[in-house]
Amino acid sequence: MEEKNNPLSPHLQIYRWQISSLLSITHRIVGVVNILAITIICFWSLSLLLGAESYLIINNFLQSFFGKFVAVGLCWTFSFHILNELRHLFWDLGYGFDLKISKITGVLALLGSFVFTILFYLIGKNIF
Amino acid sequence: MVQLNLPQNSKIEVGKYYKDKTNSKNLKKVNVYRWDPSTKQNPRVDTFEVDMDNCGPKVLDILFKIKNEIDPSLTFRRSCAHGVCGSCAMNIDGVNTLACIKSHTDIHGDLNVYPLPHLKVVKDLIGDLTTLYKQYESIKPWLQTEQTGKEKEEIKQSQKDREKLDGYYECILCACCSTSCPSYWWNGDKYLGPAVLLQAYRWINDSRDGDKEERLKKVADELKLYRCHTIMNCTNSCPKGLNPAKAIGSIKKMLATS
Repeated sequence: MEEKNNPLSPHLQIYRWQISSLLSITHRIVGVVNILAITIICFWSLSLLLGAESYLIINNFLQSFFGKFVAVGLCWTFSFHILNELRHLFWDLGYGFDLKISKITGVLALLGSFVFTILFYLIGKNIF
Repeated sequence: MVQLNLPQNSKIEVGKYYKDKTNSKNLKKVNVYRWDPSTKQNPRVDTFEVDMDNCGPKVLDILFKIKNEIDPSLTFRRSCAHGVCGSCAMNIDGVNTLACIKSHTDIHGDLNVYPLPHLKVVKDLIGDLTTLYKQYESIKPWLQTEQTGKEKEEIKQSQKDREKLDGYYECILCACCSTSCPSYWWNGDKYLGPAVLLQAYRWINDSRDGDKEERLKKVADELKLYRCHTIMNCTNSCPKGLNPAKAIGSIKKMLATS
């Protein structure tokens, strides 16, 4: 092509989302969130060394609605990332590429992540 | 580079509206991407009202009807009209496929037709596939054999070895898969993309080929191969029902185990 003025055909704007592509981008976003989360959790646990006062600050934050939302949210991001990573592990072993199977495992990973989150919550609440 | 938005000269404008003149009661609105290189205007989406009572069952039939009866300037590639040549690959209803084997009865509501995504547009529904063809050439898609002096003898292949090519030799290089892949959108100049990697695997996997090691070595590259993140848009779009994601996975596995 000589002409440089040719337009670029639309891509993200028009391409229909598939379950597979949606889970793939979610996996990436959740991965970044998890890195940030682990860093923050490290700082939090370090700050507990400073004693009761900083413990209170963290405790107050986690007792607030937003704090609870963050805690439960992180339970979900970790659950989803681990379950979806399992799919990647099997793909690397050469299994699960079939369109139907990859769709089923994808939906299972998504549903499973919510089940795990609820389990974490119940365990945290000392219900078992 | 990842650029999520379209560049300024590619922003799509609202185009013309062609009202139905046949007084048909069975109308379908067809939105078609248009760009004319002879004008300096941005691309636009024209809407055609098409009389479905007198139209064939495939999306390609609709495009022909528009070209023959409404706007002869509509430009698109097509040849065999039977899903064998791969010329009429385009984005229909949000997914890449061949217009000649896609039934419009599967699509409810308006029909949206765009060129294959993230390509330089030549005209209307025609995208420029030069890069893809160059990449295809780079994997040497022909049999490599040692010079033994017996070149005139046929190289035999057992039925079992031949079966290893099933699901790969059927590829018609329509580019539906490569242009559906977000990784290929962002790194299309370096990442080979699903179509070319499926072809690479087809040659790596051929028992008659004598250059397997070399082929594997050549493709083992952070950008050429490992930009595949198993998004699986490729397998979802392949009009021939092949599985490029699996082919790429097989190459990765071969490299990990060799």
